[in-house]
Amino acid sequence: MSFKKMNFLLEWKKIKRTGFFAAFLAGGILAGAFPVINTAVRTEMFISSPGSPAAILMSANYQTMAMLSLLLLTAGACILYHIEYADNGIQKMQSLPIRESGLFFGKFFLLLPAFFLMFCIQCAAMIFCGLHWLDPAAASEGELFHCLELVRCFGFAFLLTLPAALLLLFLSSLCRNMWIMLGIGILGIFLGTMLPSDSFAASLFPFAMPFQTLPGMEEDLVIRYIIAAVSETAFIGIIEIICIRIRRLFA
Amino acid sequence: MNILSLTHMESRKIKRSKILLILAASILILWIPNIINADINFQMDDIGISPENSFFIQGFMGMVWFIYPAAMAVCTVLLVQTERANNGILKMLALPVSTSALCLAKFILLVLLSVVYVLLSTGAYYISAAAASNMADYNLVLMPSYVLPMIGKLFLASLPMLTVFWMIAVLIRTPIFSVGAGLASIVPSVLLINTKLWFLYPMCYPFYVLTSEYGNLAENMSASPVDLIPWIPAAAAISVICLVIACLSFGRAERR
Repeated sequence: MSFKKMNFLLEWKKIKRTGFFAAFLAGGILAGAFPVINTAVRTEMFISSPGSPAAILMSANYQTMAMLSLLLLTAGACILYHIEYADNGIQKMQSLPIRESGLFFGKFFLLLPAFFLMFCIQCAAMIFCGLHWLDPAAASEGELFHCLELVRCFGFAFLLTLPAALLLLFLSSLCRNMWIMLGIGILGIFLGTMLPSDSFAASLFPFAMPFQTLPGMEEDLVIRYIIAAVSETAFIGIIEIICIRIRRLFA
Repeated sequence: MNILSLTHMESRKIKRSKILLILAASILILWIPNIINADINFQMDDIGISPENSFFIQGFMGMVWFIYPAAMAVCTVLLVQTERANNGILKMLALPVSTSALCLAKFILLVLLSVVYVLLSTGAYYISAAAASNMADYNLVLMPSYVLPMIGKLFLASLPMLTVFWMIAVLIRTPIFSVGAGLASIVPSVLLINTKLWFLYPMCYPFYVLTSEYGNLAENMSASPVDLIPWIPAAAAISVICLVIACLSFGRAERR
């Protein structure tokens, strides 16, 4: 078996009994319940607002949902390395003939589907709101234009959340103590919400980027965000690899 | 051993945890943007609130809605996890001390940490209000006779929330669920402060009290009143139930 495949399978077995996927499932349902309840309670206000259903739904709900996703990602990233540090399992991993960066990316590829699942649930909930309350005609005519728009919004949001996810996992790999990683993660998210929302440079902060929404954004800005998200993700990955090297030197 | 010496012992355990550093950093992140953006407080004519009141409310709003509950949730993780590492908790449970007393001592420490947090924020408020006044040539500092009772109220309103967090941390043994539940429970308070059932959700108490104060200070905003009657009994009942459940189940999994 190749080492890469082994890494991933090992990580999967390790995480099985921690409730990792169940937590993301529960988080996705919680985040998905938010727009459903919000739209059900304030239907009149939503119908009377201008703009496409996707834009109305995103602007009314997405900030809170992004906050929930980020908090859950923090808990998830935290647990992925906590299982190593809790009983010195990391020392055994370090003595195996595998790369430590492989361990990191094995964990990242476990975090990715979990958080993709969460986004899918959220997106499905939003589509339900759109079809049920905002645009019932679209469903009967088979016109699924707004659904596609929402899917595009969530795809964009997923991409923009990637750097934050990788950064949280990076922090988690640095901190032996769970509360320090949690503390720093919370501080990062809080800083992301406190940064001025009108400046493009400030919104590139990995924890501020997940709060950006697609509807109403100009096309060249969208492209700039996509480039920024991809390059930040790559950059954090490289930093992690360098950090592992440095830590091995002083271990 | 009485509860005081137990609490003292618990406080020595977290001495090297760097938690105060995290708390202090969160306060810096909260107040520095408030100093920089202080001039927003002069554009509040449509709401009808004076700049000094607005500065106070804006700053503490950021604190009570997210960072204060989140910091306290992190503190519960610290209190529970320091002892799980290397099975320190087994040694504590083997001592001839009642487990409920141990649990209470840890909860008291959590309350003390929140006192430290609130005091640090008050200090930060005065420093940043003075700094912002200097920059804007306008006195933004409020009298302590108003600020201190208000902050005391916020602190008291947050006690039921602390008991809930503590119960979550003690009851849920799986770290991801206890952390996730604690953090995720903060987010719905934005919705719940606008409903009539806010008094059943302890996580939104401080936020509700401050929002209601905002309504009182601003002329053009309707104030949602803080009705003591359903609130105080509900809050007391929730706190007592949570504390009793936490004390009864503390160390149960280890003793099995």
